[in-house]
Amino acid sequence: MERGRAVIARRTATWWISRGLYLAILTGGALLMFVPFAWSLSTSLKGLGQAMTYPPVWWPHPFQASNYVKIWHIVPIGQWFINSVLVASAVTAANLIFDSLGGYALARVRFPGKKFWYMGIVAMLMIPFQAVMLPLYIVMKDLGLLDNYGGLIAPVAVSAMGIFLMRQAFLALPSELEDAARIDGAGRFRMFWQLSLPLVTPTLLTLALMIFLSSWNNFLLPLLVANRASLWTLPLGIVMFQQEYFVNWPYLMAAAVLATLPIALVFLVFQRWFIRGVATTGLK
Amino acid sequence: MQRSAAARGAIPPRRVRVPGSGRWREARAGYLFLLPSVVLLFVFVAGPALYAFYLSLFSWNLLNHMHFVGLANFSGLWHLPLFWTAVGNTALFAGVVVPTQTLIALGIAALMNQHLPARGFFRLAFFFPAISSSAAISIIFMWIYNKFGILNSLLTSLHLYGPNWLANPVYALKAIMIMNIWTTSGYFMVVFLAGLQSIPRELYEAAAIDGAAAWQTFRAITVPLLRPTTFFIVVMGVIGTLQMFDQSFILSQGTGGPLHSTTTIVLLVYQFIFSYGKVGFGAAATVLLFVFTLLVTLGINRWLGAATEY
Repeated sequence: MERGRAVIARRTATWWISRGLYLAILTGGALLMFVPFAWSLSTSLKGLGQAMTYPPVWWPHPFQASNYVKIWHIVPIGQWFINSVLVASAVTAANLIFDSLGGYALARVRFPGKKFWYMGIVAMLMIPFQAVMLPLYIVMKDLGLLDNYGGLIAPVAVSAMGIFLMRQAFLALPSELEDAARIDGAGRFRMFWQLSLPLVTPTLLTLALMIFLSSWNNFLLPLLVANRASLWTLPLGIVMFQQEYFVNWPYLMAAAVLATLPIALVFLVFQRWFIRGVATTGLK
Repeated sequence: MQRSAAARGAIPPRRVRVPGSGRWREARAGYLFLLPSVVLLFVFVAGPALYAFYLSLFSWNLLNHMHFVGLANFSGLWHLPLFWTAVGNTALFAGVVVPTQTLIALGIAALMNQHLPARGFFRLAFFFPAISSSAAISIIFMWIYNKFGILNSLLTSLHLYGPNWLANPVYALKAIMIMNIWTTSGYFMVVFLAGLQSIPRELYEAAAIDGAAAWQTFRAITVPLLRPTTFFIVVMGVIGTLQMFDQSFILSQGTGGPLHSTTTIVLLVYQFIFSYGKVGFGAAATVLLFVFTLLVTLGINRWLGAATEY
């Protein structure tokens, strides 16, 4: 009895120590994740002279928020911002429609060859965008998709991952629901649109977030498609800006902050759905 | 139940293809729903992938007429030292980044799974770099890696040598590796965490009653039961790192330098089209990258993919 209690007491002590240690490691790690962003924010608020002092100082003195105004005049960053919003919104809308239609067909509709198409779409998951860059560029050239908005949207208007995600969501719905609708004489599209789609709204939100973020962050597609500066999106724009103004770090950091901020806001508001999406696509 | 429905759909007992009949309408709906996805995926993913095989047999600079050269592009690549440099860089990059990020992700996920306070905050902090734009992150790190930047100032204060990271061929690829590990570990941590949470708690309770130490529990329960998740993470990591492009392109300003030390296979493919005008070489390198990725994935499948029996 006495010995048992002693063991528990000792375990509690090590338990507290180990928990303190775990928390310290995690805090250090979180700090490591945070520092580069904090440093870019700090630099973006400095004058060029202060940014280049060595050893570097953390606190900007004086605060020079005018960098954010100046880059607006040097490069068409407003236009890039609008392009990013337009392209990411269009890509998200297209994916919501096409991926849910495709996912619904693969989950709910009976048709010959379904297994073949399902396997084909799963195989697409194995082909990353970068890998087909060269032939894709030639295909897009032949289709007249270079240097226009169509080229920034069409190649990513459907995502095999999205179809897969939606299929999993539709598979989880009970089939009795649609049986009842079928008896009432509802067509497939009505069953999809009025009955099943509203029930997978959380998954649609997850899909919308994942697609929006990946389109917003896409660098390679705009690099291939957009030659004119007026067609660049924020990521491509700031890289081109960097190649021209590579010594003015406060300007560049201000541009990087501007490209990161919208994503940070979207992520903070919707992080629950986003993490859910990573967890489900990651496990299935 | 869904499975049997699919099977019935695939081999219908009676094929009555009368327009207007239930089965016909069902099939038509299925194909109509799937049509946009199949067309777009074919034009922009599967088609280009097949087209790469075709293009690899021709000599072409996008402007002149294509002419058939058989396998000459492949033997040309074989004798091109730059191609082997790119292969070496890519393999080294994948070989360092994948194990490191997997171990870090697993370690952090295991810590996060201990029901510590502020778990939501930590998950947010570790995950955020993974959803930020690769362009913004690359530019931020170029500033951090500056010869007179914050990293070297820190190293100097610790009496360590701070190289000119991105201008030195010995350190440039290492700098990109560190940046990449920093970016993606948090993403895989979230995946590991989801896997950890699906392990039944009773197993841990039983182990605790038997007096197993934390490390023993981790080795005997956590690692084996996480195998499907680990498999997924390693495959995604390998596919991602073998295709690395953005970071090399941005940090080397498109050159793959210094001295080709950051030229990856995909960056070389980009240069084959846009700098050297050798579409056939680029297509051949694309084909070889496909084959290489497939072989590595199959290898990992043999190693980690087999189901664990309990």
